[in-house]
Amino acid sequence: MLRFLLIRFGRAALTVALVVTFAFIVLRLSGDPALIIMSVDAPPEAIAAFRKAWGLDDPIWLQYLHYFTAIGQGELGQSMRDGRPALQLVLERIPATLALTLPALAMKLGIGIPAGIYAALHRDSLIDRAVMVTAVAGFTVPSFVLGLVLVLVFSVQLGWLPSGGQESWRHAILPVLTLGIGGAAVLARFTRSAMLEVLGQPYIRTASAKGVPWARVVRGHALPNAAIPTVTIVGFMVGSLIAGAVVVESVFSWPGVGRLLVVAVANRDLAVVQCILLLVAVTMVSSNLIVDLLYGVMDPRLRSGAKAGAH
Amino acid sequence: MTHFDRRQFLRLGAAAGGTLALPGFSVAQADTRPSITIAVQKVVNTNTLETLREQSNVGTRVLSNMLEPLIATDWLGDLSLQPGLATGWRRLDERTVELTLREGVTFHDGEPMTAEDVAFSFGAERMWGGAAEAGAAGLFGSVTAGQGGKQPPAEVVAVAKRAFPAFERIEIVGPRTVRFVNKTPDITLEGRISRNVGVIVSRKAFAAAPSWLDWARKPVGTGPYKVAEFKPDQSLTLVAHDAYWGGRPPLKQIRFVEVPEIASRINGLRSGEYDFACDIPPDQIGDIAASGRHEVLGGLIANHRLTVFDKSHPLLESPLIRRAMTHAIDRQAIVEALWAGRTQVPKGLQFDFYGPMLIQDWAVPAYDMALARKLVKESGYKGDPIPYRLLNNYYTGQVATAQILVESWREAGLNVAVEMKENFPQVLAKGPSRAVRDWSNSASYNDPVSSIVAQHGPTGQQWQIGEWRNEEMGKLSGVLETSMDMGQRKAAFRRMLEICEREDPAYTVLHQTANFTAKRKDIRWKTGQSFAMDFRAANWGGMG
Repeated sequence: MLRFLLIRFGRAALTVALVVTFAFIVLRLSGDPALIIMSVDAPPEAIAAFRKAWGLDDPIWLQYLHYFTAIGQGELGQSMRDGRPALQLVLERIPATLALTLPALAMKLGIGIPAGIYAALHRDSLIDRAVMVTAVAGFTVPSFVLGLVLVLVFSVQLGWLPSGGQESWRHAILPVLTLGIGGAAVLARFTRSAMLEVLGQPYIRTASAKGVPWARVVRGHALPNAAIPTVTIVGFMVGSLIAGAVVVESVFSWPGVGRLLVVAVANRDLAVVQCILLLVAVTMVSSNLIVDLLYGVMDPRLRSGAKAGAH
Repeated sequence: MTHFDRRQFLRLGAAAGGTLALPGFSVAQADTRPSITIAVQKVVNTNTLETLREQSNVGTRVLSNMLEPLIATDWLGDLSLQPGLATGWRRLDERTVELTLREGVTFHDGEPMTAEDVAFSFGAERMWGGAAEAGAAGLFGSVTAGQGGKQPPAEVVAVAKRAFPAFERIEIVGPRTVRFVNKTPDITLEGRISRNVGVIVSRKAFAAAPSWLDWARKPVGTGPYKVAEFKPDQSLTLVAHDAYWGGRPPLKQIRFVEVPEIASRINGLRSGEYDFACDIPPDQIGDIAASGRHEVLGGLIANHRLTVFDKSHPLLESPLIRRAMTHAIDRQAIVEALWAGRTQVPKGLQFDFYGPMLIQDWAVPAYDMALARKLVKESGYKGDPIPYRLLNNYYTGQVATAQILVESWREAGLNVAVEMKENFPQVLAKGPSRAVRDWSNSASYNDPVSSIVAQHGPTGQQWQIGEWRNEEMGKLSGVLETSMDMGQRKAAFRRMLEICEREDPAYTVLHQTANFTAKRKDIRWKTGQSFAMDFRAANWGGMG
């Protein structure tokens, strides 16, 4: 088990390091922050001074070394555009993003999983068809289109809900719906597929043949086995809590991490972009790590596989 | 003779008493002025509200409500210079303008505006704070919020130098009189003073701010509205400055909200959340107006869209290719197809409000495809691709315009290849693919110095980044800037247009820019010939 954990932690750390390295290199190769922040009309000596002050005139490997050393000391840098610590800027925006993504996650789980289970248990019925048609529609319509359609219906035509901003809880309803509908559709499809696969397994038929009540077969055998692929998707959704609403935040003018990321990238505010990507990577990797550990808890074969590998 | 009985006398007394009590009662009443919300693409680009740092079109929209120069511009009328914080001005000589300051002007913090504030606003602390030191400390190295130090960023000094290249000093003559003294003769001094770089701000408030950044996010000026709350990248809330010298502002509060998506701005307007939606593309005007509850205002502003050439690129070295490109464009077709005829093709890089300096008989190169083809043939062009660096609709209809241009040039025999870029530094970066690009040029005051010299002369961007230079143009820029002889200046300007638009094209003008703002139809308000939105009492007829 220890080896299993160590391997998982090692992979997680490597993934975070790779993401951070990739972001670091791409950001530095795709535009000069000095020119963007100071403007192209700033005098050359001012541009040069800016580069020097922020260490942008150092070789990229040296910048990388400084960056990694700073991360090790818990220092994620200052915003070149705002002058404040990048982490502070990002942390200020996280509550706004979570105000959308957490209710949306609850919606995805609350609708997607029951709908998928129900559709699988009533395969080829009218309800199964209806659930799948809705799921495919929800899955394929891009979030910016869905968001605008919801605004047209509920804000412009009916006048029930605000179309954007963050003034009250009512402002969160449409963005949460936009995020939730797409995610629920994805979960419904995956849950249905996983359930159908499990329901076709011999042990399900055996349990039924032995006279175990169908409800117990589903609860005791089908659901736990179908949970593994579903948990994978849910893990991915949990990992997207911080930066999974970039488009929706733009459509609804919601001042969360997603909009901060868009503005920071446009302005090549390196420390802020790197800080967000680091947090996203850590969240995503942590979430996947927890999912991996849950696999072990849910499926003893994975634990024994890890033990076997240890010998 | 009129007689009063006792009852009449009592009624009269009660009425008189009520009248006397009225002012106090009014003051005690709640502020019933309306508040409005305006959806904008961006509030400001730099996340500061200091005109010396924020020089964008979007910034002009909001800052004009807070900060005022000594000499104003009649944006709602003929763009002429008008008394602002100075009630009058006169020329003492070729280098000096004497200004009489308006009495009774108070800053947002309640302090009266003085001659010392004027001197401070043009002074070293605010404008000229040592570029080297500021740059060495980095943009925010010395100006981080909450830390000490008021050293402005280097860019502030650069902006000031461009706006007032030969500034010498402000001379305080008396409590209400100051002199603006230039190092060199300059006929455009009054125009330069009217630029938003020269707004007057409070010396005491600057001194009291903890850092330059704190100051730049809540500058204290004299405008009709003052900053209540600024959330960078989100919103700016202004509230009425009731002691405004131009009369009590008609609005209690103006809230500018950043809504980056155009569809979201229009939807918010339709659903009633926003009273105004800015930066409306021409193809949306019909749909918005169709609702009956909204209308789109706006029109021409003092800004022209250009295609710019890099003559250091081997394929554009020959002026023949550049000239061919200028003749291959059907500008009127662009105006009709992409702007629904709501803008116009101007007389080259000049504006009607230039007045006596306007070259009336000048025009952009004629659309003549046969001539374009002939010039291409004469140039010996072999068909190598000419790169065209393009941004994704930074300018209204930019990509569609580029597609029309590329096809027009193809028809003339030129192979122009679009390269999409993400931002201006990428567009302007020196390299083998820098050849053709887009730009727009504004005129911030009524003289060609504000445009052709500022943009294409020796201190202009094209010259500075090594894109285009012409020795004769350089000398003529000096003449235009320093000569006081109108005849000589006008002849120089004509020659500059000949060089830049015909002989050795630096750019070619496509069309004038138009700016459109959607609003509730029941709001009685007018747009001006600028991005600035005027919410003073004279331009507010009420709502509802």
